[in-house]
Amino acid sequence: MSITATLARPRTVAPWRALLPWVIAAVAILALPHLAPSGFGLSLLCRMGIAIVFALSFNMVLGQAGMLDFGHAVFLGLGGFLAMHALKATIGLPLPLLPLVGAVGGLVAAILAGWVAARRAGTAFAMITLGVAELVIATVHLFPSLFGGEEGVSGDRSSGPALFGHDFGPQVEAYYLIAAWTWLAALLMWLYTRTPLGRLANAVRDNPERVGFIGYDPARIRLLVFALSGLFAGIAGGLAALNDEIVSAGAMSADASGSVLLMTFIGGIGTFWGPVLGAVLITLLAVALSTVTDAWQLYSGLLFVSMVLWAPGGLSGVILAHAPLGARLGRLVPRYAAVVPGLVLAVAGVVTLAELAFRLQAMRNGARARPLLGYALDPQALAPWAAAALVCGAGIWLVRRTYPAAREAWQAAAA
Amino acid sequence: MTALTVTGLHKAFGATKIIQGVELTVARHERHAVIGPNGAGKSTLFHLISGRLRADSGTVRLGERDITGMAPHDIFNAGLARSFQVTSLFPKLSVFENLRAAAMRRHGCGLAFWRRLDGYSSLRARANELLAQIGLERRRDVPAGSLAYAEQRALEIGVTIAGGAETLLLDEPTAGMSRAETERAVTLIRRVSENRTLVMIEHDLGVVFGLADRISVLAEGRVIASGLPDQVRGDPAVRTAYLGAAAEQLA
Repeated sequence: MSITATLARPRTVAPWRALLPWVIAAVAILALPHLAPSGFGLSLLCRMGIAIVFALSFNMVLGQAGMLDFGHAVFLGLGGFLAMHALKATIGLPLPLLPLVGAVGGLVAAILAGWVAARRAGTAFAMITLGVAELVIATVHLFPSLFGGEEGVSGDRSSGPALFGHDFGPQVEAYYLIAAWTWLAALLMWLYTRTPLGRLANAVRDNPERVGFIGYDPARIRLLVFALSGLFAGIAGGLAALNDEIVSAGAMSADASGSVLLMTFIGGIGTFWGPVLGAVLITLLAVALSTVTDAWQLYSGLLFVSMVLWAPGGLSGVILAHAPLGARLGRLVPRYAAVVPGLVLAVAGVVTLAELAFRLQAMRNGARARPLLGYALDPQALAPWAAAALVCGAGIWLVRRTYPAAREAWQAAAA
Repeated sequence: MTALTVTGLHKAFGATKIIQGVELTVARHERHAVIGPNGAGKSTLFHLISGRLRADSGTVRLGERDITGMAPHDIFNAGLARSFQVTSLFPKLSVFENLRAAAMRRHGCGLAFWRRLDGYSSLRARANELLAQIGLERRRDVPAGSLAYAEQRALEIGVTIAGGAETLLLDEPTAGMSRAETERAVTLIRRVSENRTLVMIEHDLGVVFGLADRISVLAEGRVIASGLPDQVRGDPAVRTAYLGAAAEQLA
C-alpha cells in the first residue's frame, strides 16, 4: 500500500485498456455454454448472472455511497412481479425487453422508498430501509390477487412473440439473454462510477457533511443513487422472473436482502468487481452445498463472519493487497501453505460438529440421518462428537502456531 | 460595499448561550481575522454563517442576499466556502479526486450520471492547478486519509478554495503547523484570497497581524472590538478580555 501510494503514477489508462475486461467478459459469456453445455450448468450460470447484477446494484449503495440497505431485495422482488405481470399480460412485448419492465418497477419503488430513507444517512437510513421492506412484504401478503399469495405468480417465458425464430423456451436461449443483460447492466453500472454522480456518491460515503460545503445536497445524491440502484435491482428481478418463470414474495424477503449483503461483503465492497466474485462464489456454494447438506446457510454465514473479522476488504480486498507484490508473492507461499493443514482440520471439525447437530435435530423430528460424504454419522453416540471436537481443537492449535509466521511474512513483503 | 453582514446573531445549546448578539461586518475583498479566547464562540459563529448550524435569532447576509437558515449547499452556491478546524476531507478519495470533487460545482457539473467525469477537461485542469497551488503534486493519487497532518491541512485549504467562492471562511488554517509550514500556508492564503473576501479564525497572532486588514475580537459570544489591527491592539476592552488577560497573569 505505502509503496504504491508514494509513487505519483498516472491514474488514467487508455480507454481501450479500461474496456479490455469487458471484451474478455463478452467472449467468456459466448464461450461458457460450450464448456458447460449441461442444463444444470446453464441454469447455474443464469443464477450467477442474476446474482451479479443484484450484488453490483447493492454495492452502488453500500460500497460506493456508504448506505446500508437492509431491504434491497424489495426492489428485485417488485421488479420481478411487474415483469411477470407484463409477461402474463401478453401485450406482445418481446422477451428480451422484459428486464426493462423490471427496471421500471425497481426504479419507482426505490424512488418512493428513497423519498423517506435517503433524507438520512447511517443507522437511521438502515433502519428506515428495514422498516420499508417489512411494510412492503406485509402489504404484498394483503393482495394475493396481485402477488399470488404463498405460491407467487408464474408465467411462461416462451409465450411471447418469437424473435428471429427464438422463443427463449430452451435454457440455452434464456442463458444468452440473461448473460447479455448481465453484461450490459454491469457495464452501465461501471460507467456510472466514472460520472459526476458516481464520484459524488463516493464523497457522500466518505464525508456527507463536507459534500454540503462543496455545493451539493447529500440527501439528493443519496436519493439519486438509491433510485439508480433500485433500477438495476429491478433488472435483476426481471431476469429472475424470466429465468424461474415464477416470482413469489420470498424473492423480497429479509433472507434475500441478507443474502445480497452477504455476497457483496464476501466479494468485497471496496472495489467495483468485488461483488461479482461474491455473487459467483455464494451462488456456487448455495447450489453445491445445498445438494449435500442442510446446513449450507450456516456455512455461508460462518464465511461471512470470518470475512468480517479477518478480511474486511472481502475477497477483492485480499487480491488487491497481494496483487502489487509481484515476485515477492513467491516468498509468501510456503508460509501461507503452512497454515493450510490447521485450517483444513479446524474447518473439518466445525463442519462435522454442525452436521452432527443438524442430524440430531433431524432425528428428533423423525427423519433418518443422511450420511456425510458417504460416511454414516450417528449423532446420538459420543465418539463422533468427541472426535470432531478434538480435530477442531487440533486445527485451531495448529493455526495459532503457524499464523504468526504467515503474518510476519506478509508484513515483510508488503513493507 | 459589504461582503458579509451578521446582525444580532444568537445561538444557545440548551441553557448554554454560546453566541449572544454578534454584530459583524466584513467589507468586500477585505482580509478579516476573528480572534478571541478559547470558548468565545468563534467556530460556532462560522457554523452559523456557513449553514452548518441554525441560529436561534439574527440574520446573516452575503452581499445583499439573506442567507440565514439556508442549507450549506445553498450557501455555498450563493458564493461562500469554508474550511474546518478539524480537517474534513474525503479520506478514501485521492488528493486529486478531493480537489476535483470540490471544483465540480463551479465547472457546471450537476448530478449527471450520463456524462463522463473525465470529459470535463477544464475541471481536470483546474484540479491539477489546485494541486500545484497547494504543493501536493507528488501526492496526487494518495488517498487523502493517508496524508501527513500538514498535507491534510493544505488539502483542506485546497478543497475550500477549489469552488472559486467569492467569500472564504477559514477556521484556524494553520493550527498545529510548524513554523515553516505556517509560512507556506500564509503565503498560500494570501495568494488565494487576492481579490476575494477572507474571514479567518486564527490563534497565531503573528499570522493575524501579518495577514489581516481588519480584526474582530470575539469574547463570551459577542464582538467586543472590530477595526484596524492597530486600533484593536490598543483597545482596552480587548486587553482585558483577551490579550491583557495573559499579560496580567504574567505580570
